[in-house]
Amino acid sequence: MRLSTAAPKIWARGAVTLGIALAAAVTVACAPVQQAAAPGATPATDIFGTPADPAAVQRGGTLTMALSAEPDMLDPTQSRSFYTRYVFHTMCEKLYDLDQNTRIVPQLATALPTVAPDGLTVTIPLRQGVRFADGTPMDAQSVVTTFQRNLTMPGSGRRSELGPITSVEAQGTSTVVVHLSAPFAPLTSVLADRAGMIMSPAALQQLGDKFGSAPVCVGPFKFESRVAQNSIDVVRDPNYYAADRVFLDHITYRIITDASIRAANLQSGDAQVADQLSTQDVPSLRNAKGIQVLDSNSLGYQGITFNVGNTSGLGNAPGHVGTPVADDPRVRQAFELAVDRQALVQTVFGGLYSVACSPVSPDTVYTSEAAQACTPHDPAAARALLQEAGVQMPYPIKMITSNNPDSLRLAQALQALVADGGFNLQIVPVEYSALLDQQDRGDFEMLQLGWSGRIDPDNNITNYLSTGGGQNVAGYSDPALDALLTRARTSTDQAERVRLYGEVVTAIHAADPIVYLYRQRNYTGVTSAVSGVQVFPDGIARIAFAGRTR
Amino acid sequence: MRSYLLHRLWQSAVTLVLATIVVFLGVRALPGDPAAAFAGEERDPASLAAIRERLGLNDTIVVQYGKFVLGALRGDLGTSTRTGIPVSQMIGTGLPVTIELSVLAMLVAIVLGVTTGVVAAVRRGRPAEWFANGLALLGLSVPNFWLGLIAILYLAVGLGLFPASGFVPLGEDPLANLHHLVLPALVLGTGIAAIVMRQTRSAMLESLGADYIRTARAKGASPRAVIGRHALRNSLVVVVTVVGLQLGILISGAVVTERIFGLPGFGKMTIDAVFQRDYPVIQGVVLVTAAAYILINFLVDIAYSLIDPRIRVAGAQT
Amino acid sequence: MTATEIVTPPAPDPGAAPPRRRAALRRLGRSPLGIAGFTVLAVAVLAAVLAPVLAPYSPSQVHFDAPFQIPGTVGFALGTDDLGRDVLSRILYGLRASLLVGLLAIALALAIGVPLGLAAGYFRTLDAVISRFTDLMLAFPFLLLAVGLAAIRGPSLGNAALALGIAHIPGMIRVVRSETLRLKNLDFVAASLVDGASDVRVLGRHVLPNALSAVIVQATVAIPQAIIGESVLSFLGLGIQPPDPSLGTMLADAQQYAARAPWTAVVPGLAIMLVALAFNLFGDALRDALDPRSTR
Repeated sequence: MRLSTAAPKIWARGAVTLGIALAAAVTVACAPVQQAAAPGATPATDIFGTPADPAAVQRGGTLTMALSAEPDMLDPTQSRSFYTRYVFHTMCEKLYDLDQNTRIVPQLATALPTVAPDGLTVTIPLRQGVRFADGTPMDAQSVVTTFQRNLTMPGSGRRSELGPITSVEAQGTSTVVVHLSAPFAPLTSVLADRAGMIMSPAALQQLGDKFGSAPVCVGPFKFESRVAQNSIDVVRDPNYYAADRVFLDHITYRIITDASIRAANLQSGDAQVADQLSTQDVPSLRNAKGIQVLDSNSLGYQGITFNVGNTSGLGNAPGHVGTPVADDPRVRQAFELAVDRQALVQTVFGGLYSVACSPVSPDTVYTSEAAQACTPHDPAAARALLQEAGVQMPYPIKMITSNNPDSLRLAQALQALVADGGFNLQIVPVEYSALLDQQDRGDFEMLQLGWSGRIDPDNNITNYLSTGGGQNVAGYSDPALDALLTRARTSTDQAERVRLYGEVVTAIHAADPIVYLYRQRNYTGVTSAVSGVQVFPDGIARIAFAGRTR
Repeated sequence: MRSYLLHRLWQSAVTLVLATIVVFLGVRALPGDPAAAFAGEERDPASLAAIRERLGLNDTIVVQYGKFVLGALRGDLGTSTRTGIPVSQMIGTGLPVTIELSVLAMLVAIVLGVTTGVVAAVRRGRPAEWFANGLALLGLSVPNFWLGLIAILYLAVGLGLFPASGFVPLGEDPLANLHHLVLPALVLGTGIAAIVMRQTRSAMLESLGADYIRTARAKGASPRAVIGRHALRNSLVVVVTVVGLQLGILISGAVVTERIFGLPGFGKMTIDAVFQRDYPVIQGVVLVTAAAYILINFLVDIAYSLIDPRIRVAGAQT
Repeated sequence: MTATEIVTPPAPDPGAAPPRRRAALRRLGRSPLGIAGFTVLAVAVLAAVLAPVLAPYSPSQVHFDAPFQIPGTVGFALGTDDLGRDVLSRILYGLRASLLVGLLAIALALAIGVPLGLAAGYFRTLDAVISRFTDLMLAFPFLLLAVGLAAIRGPSLGNAALALGIAHIPGMIRVVRSETLRLKNLDFVAASLVDGASDVRVLGRHVLPNALSAVIVQATVAIPQAIIGESVLSFLGLGIQPPDPSLGTMLADAQQYAARAPWTAVVPGLAIMLVALAFNLFGDALRDALDPRSTR
C-alpha cells in the first residue's frame, strides 16, 4: 500500500484530474480532519415499545408495515424464512410466546408445560373456547393434528426442531401430552416458534400441502390475500378469542427490500412500521419528527466459520482438510485475537450493533459470565501465536462472503482490521445461492455467516457445531463438546443448563471453529400515526394489538 | 402479405422453443440448489432431500422439460418453489404492472424524445438544439437507479408529491394507480427518451438532407409541411424500430426501476427468481418474456410495413 | 439498463476512403463539442492509466479514524467514504475499472457482432440463421445472463464486461447487417463482383471499410451505455467486487448513506456522467463529421 502524506502534492495530483475535481470545488474548501462520530459509543438501551393505550388509539383503520424480505410459504410446517414469522405473528398464534424479557409465556396454552421427573412426558394445558379463523373450534385434537403434520410431512422444517418426540396424544379436549424418548429441554422454546402454531384441521384437510396459499390458524387477524413479491394482507378476525383487544381492521405487509427505501417510506408516511432499519439510517430517523426507533438486541449472531473438516460435503463424515488454519487451532485463535470487534462494530455499523463473542444471547436466562467470555483484541499476541504455529506471515486466507452491500462492507473492514494481526485476508464475494452451495460442499477456507437466533442456546449451537449437525458446514467434530451439548439439552435443571452452556462456550473458544463477531440489533421504525407497536429480542415486530393514534 | 406473416410466425415459434430450452438447461447449470435456496439458514441434508423430491428435481432433465412443456400447453406453469404461489398467478399480477409501467415510460419517452428530437434537428445550431441535446445527453449519462433514488428522496420524501413506493392495481383505483406510477415511468422513460431523441434527430437530419426534401423545398413547400409531412414521417420508420427494440428491453428489464419503487412487476420477479433458483418462475417468466418480445417485434414489423411498404417486399425475401 | 441504440447509417461513401476520412477528421477538428468530449476523454483515460501514480492512497486503504470526511479536508481532496477510504483515489481506480469494462464489453461486441453482421448482410443463406440468433439474444433478458455468469464464475470485472458485451452483440449485428445490405447493392460493390473479386475480398476491401463509420459511431454510443450498465450490475451486486472500486460500485455503496454523506454519491455520479457525456459528445461529433450531408 502506498502512503503519501504531503498535502500540496495531493492537491497538485488532484488538480490533474480536472474534470472530477470539479465536484470538490462545488463543496466546501479546506477543512481539518473531523473526529469519527460518537467514539466508542456502546449501543443504546433497549426500547421495546409499549402496548397500546386503549384511550389513545381509535378502533378501525389500516396499518402498513414495510417488510425487509419476502416471506416464503405461509405454512408453519414448511416455512423456513425468518421473515415469514412477522406475518405469522398476526394470524397464527402459538402455544407459547416470548415476553420482552425473553421469558417464555403461554399463548394458546394456559400455563408452562409440566415435565415429568424423568423428562420424558410433557403435558400442555390448552386455552378453552378458542376458535380458528374458519370458525371451527381449536381443541387438543387439532394440536395433535398439527404435531403429526410437523413430524411426518416430507420437507417439514419443524421435524428436526421438535427433537426426540415419540408420540403426541390428546387427553380430553384441553390437554395435550407429548412423549419423548429422551429429555429435551428446548421443547418449550420451540413451541414458542412455528412448531407451536396450531393449524385448522379443516383447512389442512381441504388444502393439504397447499395450506400456505390460504392459511387458517388462531389469531387476531386472518389471511386475506397475497400478491407475490409485493404484499400480504390480513384482516381482523371476529372469531379471535380476545377480539376486543384488537384495534386495527386491516394490516398490509408491503415487501420493500432496500433499507434506504424502507426508511423513505417511513418518512413519507406510506408505511407506519418498518423493520430491519439500516444502521446508516438509524441516527437520522431517531432525530426525525414523528418517528420512533425501537431498539433491541437480537438473539442471533454473525461470525466467521472456518472449514476445519468439511471435505466431502454437509452430512458426510468430517475429513482432513490439511491447511494450517483447518488443522491448527492456534491459527484460528490468532485470528480471533487479531479482530478488533469494537472497531469493527464502530466502523461498519456506527456502533449501533453489539459485540458478540458467543452463540449464547446475553438477553436470555441461559447467559453467564463464562458464556460471555471474550478474547481481547491483541494483534501482537496474534502474530506471536502465528509464529508459534510456524506458518507463513502474513498468513494468506480466503474468505467467501455474500455479495450484498452490508456483507461486503463488513468483509472490507475485517480485511483491514486483521492485517495488523498478521493475516492477509482475501475477499471472495459469491452470489447468495451459490454461497449456500459452496458452504455445504465444503468448498471454502473461511466463511462469513450468521444465524438469526433462537432463545434456547441448543438451537444456536448444536446444529452448527455438534458432530453431524444439520448445519455443521465447518465439519467440526469434538466428542467432548458433543457430550456437553447432549447433557445440556437433556437436563431439566435450569441452573445446571446455564453452567453447562458456560462450559460449552469455553470449549468452543479453545478450538475456535467459529469466531463470533457481533450481534445485530433490531431497529424497527414506527411513526406516530400508530401506537402499541412492540419489538422483543426475537426481532419480530408485534403489531397485532397496535392501533391508529387518536 | 399472408405468406410473409406465416413466415414470421414460424420464425417466432422456433425462437420461442429455443429460448425455453436455453433457459431450462441454463438455470440447471447454475451452481446452487432451489431446495437449499428455499431452506436458507434452516437447511439440513435430510430435509433438503425431501424438498428436492417434492420439487421434482430428482427426475431426469428430459422428464422435467417434458413436464414443463405439457404443463405450459395446458396453461400450468407450476408453482414457485419458494412461496408456493402458482407461477401463472404470479405472472398474472406481475405482467400488467410491468406492461403499464412500460407503456407509460414509453409514452414519456416518445413525447419527450420525438419533440426534442425534432426541435434539435430543425433548430440546428441554435440554443434550442443545445438545450435539447444537453437534456438528451444527461438522460443518457445518468444511471437510472440513481435518478430513481434522487426522485424518491426529493420528490416523494422531501416534497411528498408522490408515494415513495408501492403499487395499487389499475382496476382498484385508477387515480392512485397513476399516482404510484408517475415517478417510476418518468425515471424509466427519461433514459429511453434520450435515445429516441437522438434517433429522431439523426433521422430528421438525414431526411432533411435527402433529395426529395430538397425537391419539396425547391417546389416551395412551407417549412412546416416539409418537416411534418415529409421529414418526420420518414424519420418515424427509424423511431418505430428503436421503440420496438426498447420495448423488448423494457419488458425484460425494468428490474431496477421496479426494485427501487417496490413495484411488484415482472422484471423484479425474474431477478429474484434467479437469485432464489426458483426454476418454475424463471422458466415461466422467460417463456412469457420471449413470447412478448416476439409479439412486439411482430407488431413493429407490421407497423413498419404500414409506414413504408417497401420493407414488406424486402422482408419477405429474407 | 443497457439500452440498445441503433445508429442511422451515415451517407454512402463509395470509392476511395482516405481523403474522405481526412476531411471527416478536419470537420471533427472544427466541432467545439467534439473537441470538448475528446479532451475530457483524454484526461479521463490518462487519469485512469496513471491512477497508481496520481492516487494519493491505495483505493482500498481504510482510515478508521476518518470516515465521512467532507471534500476539501486536508489529505482527502474529495473526502472519504464510510470506511475512511479516500474518494479521489477510489475515483481514479474506479475510472480505470469502469473504462476497462466499457472497452472490453465493446471489444467483445465488435469481435462477434461485426463478422456476424457482415455475414448476415452479405450471404442471404446465413441471414436467416444469424437473425434468429439475434432475435433469441434480444428476447433473452440480459440481466439473467449477468446473474447466471455471476453465479457460475463469481461476480467480477471480467464477467460484468462479458455480460455487457454479449448484451451489445445484437445491436452491433443489426447495424453492420443493415450497412452491409445497403452497401452490397451499390454500384461499386457490384462492379467489383463482376470483375471477379471473391466474396471475402469484397467484404474486406469494400464493405467493411465503408461500414466502419457506422461501426465506430455505434461503438462510441455503446461504451457509455456499458459504463452505466456496469453501475447497474454493481447496484445488483453483480459487478466489480470489493475492495476494487468501480464508479458503479461506489455509487451503489453510497446509496446506503447518501443522505449522510452526499459527496460519496455525487462524485462518482458526476464522474460517470462526465465520462458518458464525453463519449456521447465525441460520438455525436464523429457521426456528424463522417456524414458530410448533415453538416450544412
